[in-house]
Amino acid sequence: MNKDKLKIGIYELTGCAGDALLILDCEKELIDIFKAADIQSFVMAKSDNIEGELDVAFVEGSVSTEKEVKEVRDIRKRAKVIVAIGICASFGGIQAAFLDRKDWKRNFKKIYGDLEMIHTKPVHSKPIDAYVKVDYYLPGCPIGKEQFLATFNRILRGNPPELYRFPVCVECKWNENDCLLNKGMPCLGPVTQAGCGSICINHNLPCVGCWGPVEGANFTSEFHLLREKGFDVDYIKKKMANFSGTGIADFLRKY
Amino acid sequence: MKKISIDHLSRVEGNGGISAVIDGKKVTDVKFSIYEGPRLVERLTLGKTPEEDVNIVPRICAICTLSHKYAALRAMEKALSVKVPEKVSLFRELMHLGEMIESHSLHLYYLALPDYVGFPNAIAMASKFEFEVKIALEMKEFGNHIMKTASGRFIHGENPVIGGFGKYPSEEDLIWIKARAIQFMPFVYKTVSLFCELDYPDCPEEETIHVCCNPSKNEYGFAGDEIIISTGEIVPGEDYKSLTNEFIVSHSYAKHSLYKGKPYSVGALARISNLGERLKGESAKMYKKYFNERWKINPLFNNAAQALEIFYAFERIPEVINKMLKLPDPPIVEYKAQNGAGTGTVEAPRGLLIHSYAITDGLVSYTDIITPTAQNTEDVERYCYIAAQTLLDRGDEDKIRDRMDLVVRAYDPCISCSAHLAEVQKAPVDDWMTKLEEIKGKGSPVFVGIGNRDQADDGAGIELALRMKKWGMKDVFFEEEIEDKKSLWQNGDRPLVFLDAVNFKEDPGQVSVIPLVFILHNAGLSHRFLPFITATANYGQLKNSYVLGIQPASLEKGGEISEPVQMAIRKILEAIH
Repeated sequence: MNKDKLKIGIYELTGCAGDALLILDCEKELIDIFKAADIQSFVMAKSDNIEGELDVAFVEGSVSTEKEVKEVRDIRKRAKVIVAIGICASFGGIQAAFLDRKDWKRNFKKIYGDLEMIHTKPVHSKPIDAYVKVDYYLPGCPIGKEQFLATFNRILRGNPPELYRFPVCVECKWNENDCLLNKGMPCLGPVTQAGCGSICINHNLPCVGCWGPVEGANFTSEFHLLREKGFDVDYIKKKMANFSGTGIADFLRKY
Repeated sequence: MKKISIDHLSRVEGNGGISAVIDGKKVTDVKFSIYEGPRLVERLTLGKTPEEDVNIVPRICAICTLSHKYAALRAMEKALSVKVPEKVSLFRELMHLGEMIESHSLHLYYLALPDYVGFPNAIAMASKFEFEVKIALEMKEFGNHIMKTASGRFIHGENPVIGGFGKYPSEEDLIWIKARAIQFMPFVYKTVSLFCELDYPDCPEEETIHVCCNPSKNEYGFAGDEIIISTGEIVPGEDYKSLTNEFIVSHSYAKHSLYKGKPYSVGALARISNLGERLKGESAKMYKKYFNERWKINPLFNNAAQALEIFYAFERIPEVINKMLKLPDPPIVEYKAQNGAGTGTVEAPRGLLIHSYAITDGLVSYTDIITPTAQNTEDVERYCYIAAQTLLDRGDEDKIRDRMDLVVRAYDPCISCSAHLAEVQKAPVDDWMTKLEEIKGKGSPVFVGIGNRDQADDGAGIELALRMKKWGMKDVFFEEEIEDKKSLWQNGDRPLVFLDAVNFKEDPGQVSVIPLVFILHNAGLSHRFLPFITATANYGQLKNSYVLGIQPASLEKGGEISEPVQMAIRKILEAIH
């Protein structure tokens, strides 16, 4: 392989593999991605993987077993830059919705009983930054193709990625949609990271919050807004927690 | 003892591995492990609204995202008594056909084909098969385009909702999809001939049970409210538990399933094998040209079956779109029900997918999700065992690793769904002692001696049991003593160990401890008593049973137990005591 090319690794921890799949879904650009960088490891796409020093590691999924704790620490040691891709890596994903450890343990027992796992012990799902330093976060469930390609391109050229630091509402206005909150629908656009292109609202459906909380998300204001629209407290809290993982933990502790 | 292992299965979706342990001339263990961490999705949905459940569950898996959505929608609509107009059903079918094309073309060209033409990945393969790789990418992109049109985006789109869709495509969008589908036909023909004419190895080959959805009106298709089994049985979707009986194993976060105590397979091959006769038009011609008896017994033909299904999907798309064009866009069906229960059965690209829910006071109170890969794990292990043992018998030990890899990949496992790939291990000397200790660790074992005392070494099992009894050991029985076979299985969690002479084609007196299920998979080893008694066992019990086998020197009628076998009996007695 070319020595001048950046060494890249793409890793999956626990999740739906959607972020890695989305990279495979870059049909037209995929061959260029493989040409532009030295893809050292991408288990979903190839068999000849090399686990050595890396310039950039893209990591998807939450840390959910002891084996994954070791794996993510090993990736950190080998990689100059770690990019968390998707909400599972960034916030723990849907599986981090059990914020309380006891709650998680009880639920684990309900599904798997008292069985001792022989290969790796499970741990309460957490985002990767619970264990290692993360340099950049790419939100999404799964990540967006445009945002991934833009980030990949900038990193390849040695520039920091430019991320969207605004909520879905901004993109929604660009798309000239009518506000669904004004129509009384439980839309999570105001607290959700942009980048999806306000896709649900474009389809006349309220935002479910799947790209995770935007930086500085004002959950309190969204909570009161939905209260005013007549939704009940439990419903709002559960709805906001569905995809927010650890990103909503502070708010839920207060309310 | 040697262990052949593929710790990280590559070119599959998710994190898993497969391992085989080889002790001399036999394979003593095969495990398909899933390292993907537990996500507890079924529990996550409890207390959520039906709408939120439909948002969350597709996140189980990115490749089968729309199948999960579809299964959840069908289940919820049954539970809430929502009847959707024809256009909704057609648009859902179109969306599902898009997913089949996307998933099958990804698997066939990117993940499976490199093995058959000797490349580590599709990008490297592009150097020799530039045309195929390029057009396959376009085909996959076309599948993605349909998924995006129907769901809003490539993965985890939210446009399909309970009662219909948020938005419908324009007439131009639909006509473009139809025209594009017709344009692809030459490459679709090529795909079928390529994958149906590949030289699939003849091992592993053994009968299995194929299970899939039974589409209504005797048609081919990917959804239905009934489940059809290759034995001829048809089960209503609601009664899926009589079929799947999920259980948990300690080496995987995916649950395992068995049908009447036997492993079964789901997926494209199961569908083609059960429903292939229902294909119409050009797909029927393709089916008649290529389908043969080997497809029913060799899991590697799943690749060929997927190619046929791509053909079916491309032939079906114009029909669906023609019907859609005649119908108006209906508003989302509203519902008032707050309570109910429903089960939705659809075919995900890799097989039968079941979602079952109960709704109480408007919130989800019960969730059960059975994924295709979870149903296939037992058969994956069984076929890997057969492949490994057959290759070992043929003296092709060095081929085992790659063959197991090929088998697992043919199943197109979706590991995220079920919760990377192969390993071959050599057993250490006297591995049976370690195994016996492991069994004792699970609970005090019950021993059953079996065999024929008048046929030389075949009496070894009975002789061993007799000597154990003489030593004053309790919980030791022989074949004749057990009148009610069922009683054998009423020992709670205590492991059951059958003592028997087993022909592993090794040196006489060689001792081995093997899980009972492997003996049952291996026709050459099976003792007639074993299939008979195992018929009354359930899966958990079967999984908790072992055979302590001694290699006989002779099975001559009227003969005495040979010297090596006598030695073995003494060694075993010392070890047990």
